[in-house]
Amino acid sequence: MAVAGDAEAGALQPLRLMIRMLKAGAIILVALIGFLAAREQARADEDRSAILGSLCGPGLHAPMQGAGQIMAGLPTASSADLNWAEVVVQAFSLRTLRCAPAGTGYIATPAGMIDAVTLKPAPTAPDDLRSPFPNLRMRVLLDRLTAAIAVLNAPHPEARLAAVSTLAEHSDLIPPGLAEAALKRTQNASVAAALRGLIVLQRLQSPDVSQRVAAIQTLSQDTTSRTENQLESLRADPAYAADPQVAAALDQGIAHVRFWVRAGAVLSLLYNGISAGSVLFMSAIGLSIIFGLMGVINLAQGELLMIGAYVTYTVQQVIRIIAPAYLSLYPIAAIPVVFIVTALLGIVIEWTVIRHLYRRPLMTLLATWGISLLLINLVRVSFGTQNLEFITPPYLTGGVAVVGDFFITWNHLAAIFFAVAAFIGTLALLRLTSIGLFIRGVTQNRDMAGCIGISTRRIDMLAFGLGAGLAGLGGLALSPIYNVNPTMGTEFIIDSFMVVVLGGVGSLIGTAIAALGIGLVNVGIEPFYGAVAAKVIALLLIIVLIQWRPEGLIAARGRR
Amino acid sequence: MMAASERGAAATAGLIALLLILVPLAGLHLAGPVGLSVYAVNVVGQVMCFALLAMSVDLMWGGAGILSLGHGLFFALGGYIAAMHLLRTAFATTHVLPDFLQFMGQSAFPGYWHLFDSLPFTLAAILLIPGLIAFVFGFVSFRSRVNGVYFAIITQALTYTAMLLMFRNDTGFGGNNGMTGFHGIAGLPIGGANAAVLLTVLSTIAVLLTLIGGRVLLATRFGRMLAAIRDDEPRLRFLGYDTLWLKLAAWCLSAMVAAVAGALYVPQVGIINPSLLDPSVSLEIAVWVAVGGRGGFYGAIIGAVLVNMVKFWLSAAAPSLWPFVLSLLVLLVVLALPNGLTDLRNRSRSWMTDLGRGFREAGRGRPERGAG
Repeated sequence: MAVAGDAEAGALQPLRLMIRMLKAGAIILVALIGFLAAREQARADEDRSAILGSLCGPGLHAPMQGAGQIMAGLPTASSADLNWAEVVVQAFSLRTLRCAPAGTGYIATPAGMIDAVTLKPAPTAPDDLRSPFPNLRMRVLLDRLTAAIAVLNAPHPEARLAAVSTLAEHSDLIPPGLAEAALKRTQNASVAAALRGLIVLQRLQSPDVSQRVAAIQTLSQDTTSRTENQLESLRADPAYAADPQVAAALDQGIAHVRFWVRAGAVLSLLYNGISAGSVLFMSAIGLSIIFGLMGVINLAQGELLMIGAYVTYTVQQVIRIIAPAYLSLYPIAAIPVVFIVTALLGIVIEWTVIRHLYRRPLMTLLATWGISLLLINLVRVSFGTQNLEFITPPYLTGGVAVVGDFFITWNHLAAIFFAVAAFIGTLALLRLTSIGLFIRGVTQNRDMAGCIGISTRRIDMLAFGLGAGLAGLGGLALSPIYNVNPTMGTEFIIDSFMVVVLGGVGSLIGTAIAALGIGLVNVGIEPFYGAVAAKVIALLLIIVLIQWRPEGLIAARGRR
Repeated sequence: MMAASERGAAATAGLIALLLILVPLAGLHLAGPVGLSVYAVNVVGQVMCFALLAMSVDLMWGGAGILSLGHGLFFALGGYIAAMHLLRTAFATTHVLPDFLQFMGQSAFPGYWHLFDSLPFTLAAILLIPGLIAFVFGFVSFRSRVNGVYFAIITQALTYTAMLLMFRNDTGFGGNNGMTGFHGIAGLPIGGANAAVLLTVLSTIAVLLTLIGGRVLLATRFGRMLAAIRDDEPRLRFLGYDTLWLKLAAWCLSAMVAAVAGALYVPQVGIINPSLLDPSVSLEIAVWVAVGGRGGFYGAIIGAVLVNMVKFWLSAAAPSLWPFVLSLLVLLVVLALPNGLTDLRNRSRSWMTDLGRGFREAGRGRPERGAG
């Protein structure tokens, strides 16, 4: 073992030498780095002293120049520099910066004075210090500086995002490279996206033509009307007139954005029209079935809608008390409750009042109006006149941007789906079940249906309950979209009549088409001529249409 | 018809006597503090306007079996035209522009307002403008044979749309504040005792004239044709009569009567705003007629007077109770007294047995005369 050890020791001699040499080299390297770092530190200190000299300088101009120096250095600044800049800018803003006549700076802290260059305690600070006052223009600069530093150095992404939006207000005043540097220093996706937007904004002002063109092209990808306005404002830029390349890119970008904004506008018009139409459909469907079957107009239909919304509210309150954890599910839990309550109410109305008035349809108008008055005032007395407050469940909040300014909102989408489901459900009930067969039979010829053994009175009662229940579901679908108060039904009843008159009595498909049509006409006209003009035009259209098709769009078969 | 000739004699006599007592009572105020207060005279005048309005609805509903739920529109039109005349005459003395025009930033009346300086023009407009609108609307509706419930709800939609239109400030008729600030009528200050008596007397005379004229009209060939339309329009058409023009004539006449009622009403209350166009107002008119009983105009007058007296009384005593009373009244009349209060008087038995029969008949679904 010892022999082997000696032999090994001999062989290791050159290796030791090498290690020693390496050690020496490392020491020299460290010394060199230390020397360079010290020089760097010295240079940084020199820069810092110069900046402080400007900040502490006399008059209005020198401090602003100092702020400009800090700003210009930010894109290439190290973390240490950033921390220093943050402290100094904050000190200037809070008036804790103290300036000696010689131009050296100190910062007053609760623990005593510190040197403004090294940020180390400075017990030897002179006594004749003054604190520079940031005037209004300086304050603006300081705010912008604070934001620029925060973009690079703030610990929280939210703070960085806020800083980006502050900077974006005057993207032309940000030093080049700042946003790019900030982009390298963040891992957060939304901060990065905001910074990319800022870079595009900045490059739009860039003197480099290719950068401008690229920025315009990038900006055009975001097809919203905000972009359109941004691009439009660029036309006022002198470069637009001067440079054909920029002009071409800009024109192309505007055309592109404008096309998609228009497309989005058309789509959102359609979407809003369909959503308004589905609400109309929900309030008209029950009216149409009842009118078709019995020749009775139920003026209390709007109030059944209102009751449906109030039952929804009651369900919400009950769930809030007994099972708060499932509160957000209340719209779903309310569906059967609302249907049953309003259907029963409808059956009671039919049984006590309507039943006695089948041969006197004009009197049913008055009777159902009396019922609606009664219901409104009963609800007013028991719930009050104020609008009810509904909790919007998280799955009905917000929406998704599609194209241009077209935004699909979940609550409207839910109303549309609800209406479609009600349409399909009712259609299936009328077409596929025996009760539906009886309802259709009585609608077509009441006497003949009675002759072949259908209990027309029972069918009337069931159909009235169905119509009332559907109106109640309409109220449920409305509750996240409209104001819910005791008189809300009166707003819907006349529009619902229009739908029934236009669509044809007792025709479900006609009702759906008419509801969509009136919804689209209302929504389509409203932005241009106002809601009132939309109503006037809808009424005129209906009167004209009645000239051409007195029975409505889709006339019911059979004789009444 | 409601067997008017035999039953009507006593009723006519009684009603005319009542009216003839009311007019001097109102007039007594001029002589001294013996008579009614200005407020009471005013209430009588307003109720007379409502009676006139109810008669105009009854001409269509009781006469031709056509229910209008839009007569508030013609009433309000008459009122607006009268208000325009009153504002012009007020301007002639005060030289202060109405608030709503100042609010809209105008320094003078729009040109066409000057037409309403003249009383004859205004009187003609009160008849012709609502008449014309009624003609156009009636023509397109009756021509395409819109009737029954259909017609009722389209008239309701019409007045609703008019309400939305008038609620807008830029329609130019005062928006939701309406028109107010009238100064005087025929030299008498508005709101004073003399004006109140004058308007009440005028309204009462209008009611009397319309009652007599209406009765005469119903007894003519035209009236009998209307009754035939009410009872079986298809048969009348089949026999070769053009019911379109008959219905249209009655409809326009009815609209004009309603407009006169509105024109007399507005100076009495001193304001007009679009709330008169609310569909519920028009429905309430139909309720007056239903309460009093359709056909022959007496019921309309009695219903309008009774319901409105209760309303005036309750609005002061217990305002929140009125909607309940009204809705229960509607249900009671519709279910138990299919032909209103005249039903009760028309029968020889005691009122209580009568009420019972009304219930039973309602239960059997007694056919409504006319109306599809």
